[in-house]
Amino acid sequence: MAKNAAEWAARPRFPTSHYVDARIYSDPQLFEEEKEKVFKPCWIIACHESEVPNVHDYRLFTHPTGAPLIIVRGEDRKVRAFYNICPHRGNAILYDPSGNAKRMTCIFHQWSFDAQGACVDISRAEQGYQDRFCKADASLREVKCDIAFGGFVWVNLDDAGPTLREFIGPALDMLEPNMQEPMEVFHFHKAVVDTNFKLWHDTNSEFYHDFLHYFNRITGMMQPGYFDRKYTGYPNGHASVGSMSIKYDAYQSGTDRIGWPGLAPGGWILIDVFPGMTYNLRTSVMRMDTVVPLGPDKVVIEFRGLGLKRDTPEERTKRIFDHNMIWGPFGRNLHEDLLAVHGQGIAMKHGTDARWVLQGREENSTIHDEVGMRHYYAEWSRRMGRPAHDPFHEGKPAAAARAVA
Amino acid sequence: MAMHEQRHAVEELVYRTCLALDAKDWKGFLGLCDPGFRYSITTYSPEIKKDMTWLDHDRGGIETLLGNLPKHNSDHSPITRHATVYTVAFDEAKAQADVVSAVQVFRTGLDGGATELFAVGHFHDTVKLNGDGPKLLRRNVRLDTRLMGYGYHIPF
Repeated sequence: MAKNAAEWAARPRFPTSHYVDARIYSDPQLFEEEKEKVFKPCWIIACHESEVPNVHDYRLFTHPTGAPLIIVRGEDRKVRAFYNICPHRGNAILYDPSGNAKRMTCIFHQWSFDAQGACVDISRAEQGYQDRFCKADASLREVKCDIAFGGFVWVNLDDAGPTLREFIGPALDMLEPNMQEPMEVFHFHKAVVDTNFKLWHDTNSEFYHDFLHYFNRITGMMQPGYFDRKYTGYPNGHASVGSMSIKYDAYQSGTDRIGWPGLAPGGWILIDVFPGMTYNLRTSVMRMDTVVPLGPDKVVIEFRGLGLKRDTPEERTKRIFDHNMIWGPFGRNLHEDLLAVHGQGIAMKHGTDARWVLQGREENSTIHDEVGMRHYYAEWSRRMGRPAHDPFHEGKPAAAARAVA
Repeated sequence: MAMHEQRHAVEELVYRTCLALDAKDWKGFLGLCDPGFRYSITTYSPEIKKDMTWLDHDRGGIETLLGNLPKHNSDHSPITRHATVYTVAFDEAKAQADVVSAVQVFRTGLDGGATELFAVGHFHDTVKLNGDGPKLLRRNVRLDTRLMGYGYHIPF
């Protein structure tokens, strides 16, 4: 029997850890808080070191808080990150998404900066500023930057926050044996979707949605070992899913797979990093997702595909084929995943009367358990100071829910 | 066949491939393709400064892709391909022609029918010139557009 309005609004008969208020996916106030409390203190992947291989190579990245960043490799080969904001009149210093710049010069008034963030030239400085202001006063704002865990370039806007290794803890240990060789990005594209950024990370945090994918149903779900994969939660909201063997021939035969160092043939390891990055190593390709929210109901997702730096052209071609089969912009799975979170964005946008999102499946932390999402929202609630099931502190858990808990 | 007649036949082949794909007439499309047909979608990323291949299939791969479409969850909004043949370069020794066409892809939403420009790029085709008419031997869709929202399952 269908529900009436009161029944629809009633809290789910689950422990409060097993559902969230749908407004966390659309509320503008919560989104502004997330930028400060969730994204600003966390380490975020800006790019991969292979995107800035040479001295003075740079890459632009818009941080989830909105801060525009320059990632640049200096003469000492160290990669640093700076605000892409001229300290004079606030213009973007660099415009192109990547390039090589010995001097980073603002087009507006030709103020110039080196790859260590120092201002090296102010046009007609003495005439205009006399001895009141000089190059030393005009340095760029440097942002904490580190390269680790597969050669990814991580940034952190919080000068006082934990180190990257403290932030990650043991979460990526499972992948360390697979990331001993240098990797290289061969694929990059963005997708802008009218949905909340957490909904994409949720999708990467639960495999129950394999029912969405014909490809995964026949190559994974119907194969031995699928239901043995287990979630492991780590401090700071990260979570991993162990490997299994994917039977790719079940979808398209005749394609040999070249594998990945340390990964069993057909293997698959996925690790979600709070608050919106996912390592996804599947058979022969590493995929990295990074979410950059544009608002409470709009997100740009950056997708990267990586192979090994030592790949021969033939090996690289095979990795690209494997990547595109499911993960490319025309891949079988990616379109389905994006279509689903687009639908969530429609159904849960402000004013639709969406009330709750259930995360109540318990299967001993195996593949269709929703513990991955629960683990994420425990951390989200801690950082936000707001329980995800009651973000506006409007009520207390129903007696029925307490009884279940 | 006179040169202008041959060019006309090549142009018509390009346009017929668009009509067949727009109509989701996979059998009709494959009927316009040579047994050695290969299809790819490529583009250049200024972000990572690399050429990228987004799809690359031989005829068997394309047949599998098209045949499996009903089993997948896909955006059902129809797309229309608007092609304009720019150049046709004949190679009589190979009995082939290299054809470059501009292409714009429009997507029309099912709810309300609003049409939006989905992608722009070029077809780089190799056409085999047979006695029974030209056949598509190779198509590379070279995209300028790289931002396509939640994407699409059907090749352009």
